[in-house]
Amino acid sequence: MASNFWTSSHYKQLLDQEDVDVVLPLDKEKGITLEDFKLIKMHMANYISKVAQLVKVRQRVVATAVTYMRRVYTRKTMSEYDPRLVAPTCLYLASKAEESTVQAKLLVFYIKKLYSDEKYRYEIKDILEMEMKILEALNYYLVIYHPYRSLSQLLQDTGLNDITLTQVTWGIVNDTYKMDLALVHPPHLIALACIYIASVLREKDTTAWFEELRVDMNVVKNISMEILDFYENHRMITEERYNAALNKLPSRV
Amino acid sequence: MGEVDSSKKVADRYLKREVLGEGTYGVVYKAIDTHTGQTVAIKKIRVGKQKEGVNVTALREIKLLKELKDPNIIELIDAFPHKGNLHLVFEFMETDLEAVIRNHNIVLSPADIKSYIQMTLKGLAFCHKKWVLHRDMKPNNLLIGPNGQLKLADFGLARVFGSPDRRFTHQVFARWYRAPELLFGTKQYGPGVDVWAAACIFAELLLRQPFLQGTSDIDQLGKIFAAFGTPTPSQWPDMVYLPDYVEYQYAPPSALRKRFAMASDDAFDLLSKMFTYDPKARISVQQALEHRYFTSAPLPTDPDKLPRPAPKKESSNSKASDFNPNEGPTVLSPPRKSRRVMPERVSFEGNAPQSDKVDDHVGDIRQAAGESTSRNEPVPMSVDFSIFGAKPPNRPTINSADRTHLKRKLELDFQQPE
Repeated sequence: MASNFWTSSHYKQLLDQEDVDVVLPLDKEKGITLEDFKLIKMHMANYISKVAQLVKVRQRVVATAVTYMRRVYTRKTMSEYDPRLVAPTCLYLASKAEESTVQAKLLVFYIKKLYSDEKYRYEIKDILEMEMKILEALNYYLVIYHPYRSLSQLLQDTGLNDITLTQVTWGIVNDTYKMDLALVHPPHLIALACIYIASVLREKDTTAWFEELRVDMNVVKNISMEILDFYENHRMITEERYNAALNKLPSRV
Repeated sequence: MGEVDSSKKVADRYLKREVLGEGTYGVVYKAIDTHTGQTVAIKKIRVGKQKEGVNVTALREIKLLKELKDPNIIELIDAFPHKGNLHLVFEFMETDLEAVIRNHNIVLSPADIKSYIQMTLKGLAFCHKKWVLHRDMKPNNLLIGPNGQLKLADFGLARVFGSPDRRFTHQVFARWYRAPELLFGTKQYGPGVDVWAAACIFAELLLRQPFLQGTSDIDQLGKIFAAFGTPTPSQWPDMVYLPDYVEYQYAPPSALRKRFAMASDDAFDLLSKMFTYDPKARISVQQALEHRYFTSAPLPTDPDKLPRPAPKKESSNSKASDFNPNEGPTVLSPPRKSRRVMPERVSFEGNAPQSDKVDDHVGDIRQAAGESTSRNEPVPMSVDFSIFGAKPPNRPTINSADRTHLKRKLELDFQQPE
């Protein structure tokens, strides 16, 4: 979205990492640890991504949906807002907000196809009911900015005309949605961190270019480190590990 | 009456008053915010009956209005779910610009016109700064608050622009306010479409009637060309490449300066620049606001002092719901609509038979709600023109066929990957 980020509700709603990494009391009671909390959100980001591929919506819708989901859990508990319903509903809402509406029945159809597990089974009416609750939890703020737009401009500006570099960067940006970065940092800094990592990976020298930018390189480096740590720690996460975390949550009545 | 009303508290905060209108996606009613004492208009969006949850048009309006906070844009104060429906709380607006233009008891001085068009452009400039196209600028979407402030409303058609390749539907705006590039079917357009519409509104303020009243899209272009002359390729080089371009018989420009004899040279100069054919050459809203018209004498009237229709009876604060049952279903319309109707009705009460007006209002209301399903649309109008002994011009809004088309187009839009 091209409108002005600095005057947007998105900018005003950025949080500190400490405020994002809070397991609310009700979830804590159920034995959800911070690690569980992060894993479930990551799992749900993947879930959104998978369903989105089936219903064929563009990446920006996925990114918006994941951001909605993460925002919801800075305010609401997983015990009360079942992630297995919140995730597809966020996709549903994001598809509308990003002007690529997906029908609820189509979502329900693909969810059933994707997961035989009964805990994932929700009907249209559940999604529609949750839509309203999510709108409320988001305080009706729906506009989300993403690194993708600044990415292409920035990459062009580096003068590195390298298709693989672009692809690698793009992939890293997609992966940042498995983390809470979008809740904490402005999108252009996330874009820069991704370019930084990609250029190191592809052994392209961008030092001079970065030095000329008027941004706080410490922040960019911190974001990059976070992303690298994430890759390091999450190389091998088994379905069982996700399920163990999810199983701590109450089943719906 | 008061007791009955006070029991109707919505979400513990809003004291429900009379219904102002019924749109396709829900009822609009007046309410008192018990936290602030402020009068508000609440739009209830029926969700339960919808198969697709919160209406996309409503959602678009919420999304944009949450970001657009400006003195010249309607304020979305609050939103809340109640009994399964979504409720949007707006500031309550007394009237709208259409009511002002149509009310022949109101005299608009050059300074008043300057003030109204300046507020219109200021609201629009804010949208454009935020990369939002309004796409439905017309006098009855410009609401006027109790202190005379004019505010842009009805963002149900608005879109975020800025992606260079983004294709939009050209079926936007009520026909009389549609820019020539839209009438020629362009899919890639920018803020210029709002500028053209604002120019039409400017002209309407000066003429006190809609300027270019086409009866079809083809006729609309005919009216435009008859007024300004058929555009030459040098005036508008890209015209011939537009999807629905057809050659029109050459018409010379009309004696426009004569028609706008009431306008000052500055006013006419600005108007001409806003009516530029080539959207690339058309003045931007920001440039328009910097035009010397706004700094030359007379200076724009202070909004407080602008002439506007007398507040309608029912809204006198004390006995909000004590309306006379003999008046019939008078308040069947959203704030701006009822406003538009009421002053006329008050001044000409007992004059013309009113029986068939009711239907008109209902149709009008549907239009107002910005939704797509109203069938057998009567012509929305604000005044019973019969009292002036003249046939009212048909005021085009997007008709049902247009709307179906628009909906289909929008859906296509939705499915386009970026």
